[in-house]
Amino acid sequence: MSALRVEGLSAGYGGPPVLRDVSFEAEPGETVCVLGPNGGGKTTLFRVLLGELEPQAGRVAGPSRPAYVAQTERTRLDFPVSALDVALMGTLARGRWWLPPRGADRSAAAAALERVGLADRADTRFGELSGGQRQRALLARALVQDARLLLLDEPLSGVDPASAASIAGVFEELRAEGRTLLVSSHDVESARTFDSVLCLHGRQVAFGPPAEVLDRSTLEATYGSEMIVLEEGGAKRAVTVHHHEHGDH
Amino acid sequence: MPSPLDFADLPFLRDALLELVLLGIAGGILGAWIVLRRLAFFSHAVGSATFPGLVAADASGVSPTLAGVAVALGYAGGVERAGRAGREPSEATALLLVACLAGGVVLASDVFESGAAVDRLLFGTLLGLDGIDLALSAAAAALATIATLTLGRAWAALTFDPESAGTLGLPAGVADFLLLALVAVAAVAAIPAVGVLLVTAIYVLPAAAARLVAGSVPALIGWALALALAEGVLGLYLAYWLDVPPGPPVALLGAATYLVMSLVTRR
Amino acid sequence: MEVLDFLLEPVQSGIGRRALLEIALIGAFCGALGFWVVTERLAYSAESLAHGLLPGLVLATIAGAPLLLGAAGGALAAAALLALAARDERIGADAGTAVAVTGLVGLGALLAFTPESPTRLEELLFGDPLGVTDGDLIAAALLLAAGGAALAALHRPLAAVAFDSAGAAQLGVRPALLRLALLALLALAVAVAVQGLGALLVLAVLVAPPVAVRRHAGTPGRAMLAGAALAVLAGAVGIGVSFHAGSAAGASVALALCAAAALGAALPTRARRAARPGAPARAPRRTPAAPG
Repeated sequence: MSALRVEGLSAGYGGPPVLRDVSFEAEPGETVCVLGPNGGGKTTLFRVLLGELEPQAGRVAGPSRPAYVAQTERTRLDFPVSALDVALMGTLARGRWWLPPRGADRSAAAAALERVGLADRADTRFGELSGGQRQRALLARALVQDARLLLLDEPLSGVDPASAASIAGVFEELRAEGRTLLVSSHDVESARTFDSVLCLHGRQVAFGPPAEVLDRSTLEATYGSEMIVLEEGGAKRAVTVHHHEHGDH
Repeated sequence: MPSPLDFADLPFLRDALLELVLLGIAGGILGAWIVLRRLAFFSHAVGSATFPGLVAADASGVSPTLAGVAVALGYAGGVERAGRAGREPSEATALLLVACLAGGVVLASDVFESGAAVDRLLFGTLLGLDGIDLALSAAAAALATIATLTLGRAWAALTFDPESAGTLGLPAGVADFLLLALVAVAAVAAIPAVGVLLVTAIYVLPAAAARLVAGSVPALIGWALALALAEGVLGLYLAYWLDVPPGPPVALLGAATYLVMSLVTRR
Repeated sequence: MEVLDFLLEPVQSGIGRRALLEIALIGAFCGALGFWVVTERLAYSAESLAHGLLPGLVLATIAGAPLLLGAAGGALAAAALLALAARDERIGADAGTAVAVTGLVGLGALLAFTPESPTRLEELLFGDPLGVTDGDLIAAALLLAAGGAALAALHRPLAAVAFDSAGAAQLGVRPALLRLALLALLALAVAVAVQGLGALLVLAVLVAPPVAVRRHAGTPGRAMLAGAALAVLAGAVGIGVSFHAGSAAGASVALALCAAAALGAALPTRARRAARPGAPARAPRRTPAAPG
């Protein structure tokens, strides 16, 4: 029984769909890397899966409330909360958000911080953490939600090696627990470490194991012919050169 | 200098004191959310928007407080409907508020010829705070407390990360509107004491100063409460002593406190 | 002719003529300047500045000094405090501005309410066109002449910066200096106009005319002229209504200006999509404007 099934999904923001014909399945314990250029539909897919955007066509069958780990730029860095407070926010998803947090909630938050290696930073203000530590705090928030499906928006971009290792370690644990991870990324090389790769460019270009999907023609179709492959510290990153064209979705 | 005991002896001063204590509670608690969610302009605007309604009600014997609440809730609804755009002060909003102030003045001085009411409505009064005013302030204080206890966690999570509504299952739109409505009602509650123009003296200035020293949301609320109560009560005393409406001294104390704390905490 | 007599009645009296002249002079300059106030998103700053100069006005009346002096001094002090307050990122610009403005308004009111003070607070808040002095008229005339000349000289660089600040800098324009010049003109305009409209209502003469004409005027130059003309017209209507209905003059002018803005914003534009004022030939936006 699959954890997530998407069939013929199309979605947009009022006009023509910006994402078309997405169909794939993910099993429990499977990790999927979502590749694609900016504006290619990664965020749109996530929003549909989170229930924030109604699909224009197609079906989504999956857990009702996936956990979402955003990029830290989307959060307010000046908001006065500690790392523990952020982890605790995850318990709001357990329902009854109008009640104060229970003891069990607090232990869950503390345990999550432990898992991501931030236990000693529990009382530090979120804005005072490093980029990688903030990412880990947001991951802790997702862990507390105890969701079967986790959506992560470029969780390793710009993150220091220690945090990256910690995060990757948590991914392994989550896989072992039978949870499903969808991770959007720009790092083509790291996509090889995932179970499956989903390539999006306004539509689904390919879905399957990395060995099958990550060939030159698929990548060109995903990123367009303006793709440049950069070598950065041993990793290859696909970057697009943006043109000022209309209707590039 | 008048004796503080007057505040126990004279009925109108007792009422005024109670009013400012209640407003201090509402101002401290709601003020924290107003500062965190960037609603300072809204709290000022909603006060100004009620001005013509208050003038008309005042002159025709209808309770101005109830009329004010109706207008304020309507304004809050309009702002919520306008979404993001309604929050930032735009030219249209600025002109609307000017029209409200001008309209109120025309109504007061020429239609109803209740010129004296204008000063009172703009800057507040020590006298004539009646039971309805006190009841509304008490309601504002109570609602602010209850709302923070139940909605506070949701408000904090949504302010920290507006996009987390979907993943945490929080009713973002409803929570947002409830805060706007609460601020609107509380602003109207403050008008009899400090006036239409100085509503922010209760709801923004103490919380702004508190924000400079508070490292967490509960601390912010605590500091804001303490400052709002202190500034309100001291401002009332100054108003009595100098024989001026309460609004201006409370505002001045609030600004001065912010200035001092800003200098002291500057890194 | 009765209708003509009716319309010309305000002009019969000396007071009416002077009020009309004051409002016309102020309106002509502010209606034009307002186009840049709105384009550069300075409406809220103008509002805060106007409210914040109240203590200057009150002090001037207490000391028996000319109102313009108090207005100018008050504007300078307010501008400095506002700049400081809005900079504090810990509480955000809107709360910082609220602290400064509320404090200044409170200070002004406190000074005005002390028993020894002879000020009529309402005229300072809502304007007093009927009490305009010769000095006020001279100041307004000078403002129009000098300010108008400045606007005429600056309007092309201003347009270049409004359209594309970085590109304009490449062309040798200095955006920072221009903005400073604009702010100086704004402070001057507010200080002069506050006599006629009062601290609380003066925003109307700066913001209503551009809001009324911006969808209809094709170029910045036309928008400025149309704004000036509209402001003068609305001002005259306001004075006329105030005269006949006996309503407060400053408030009537403000209401007339706001009504003009509402009308202008609601009227349909001509079918031909001329370049938007202040942003001619802007490149078309990528559609849809949504994240991928």
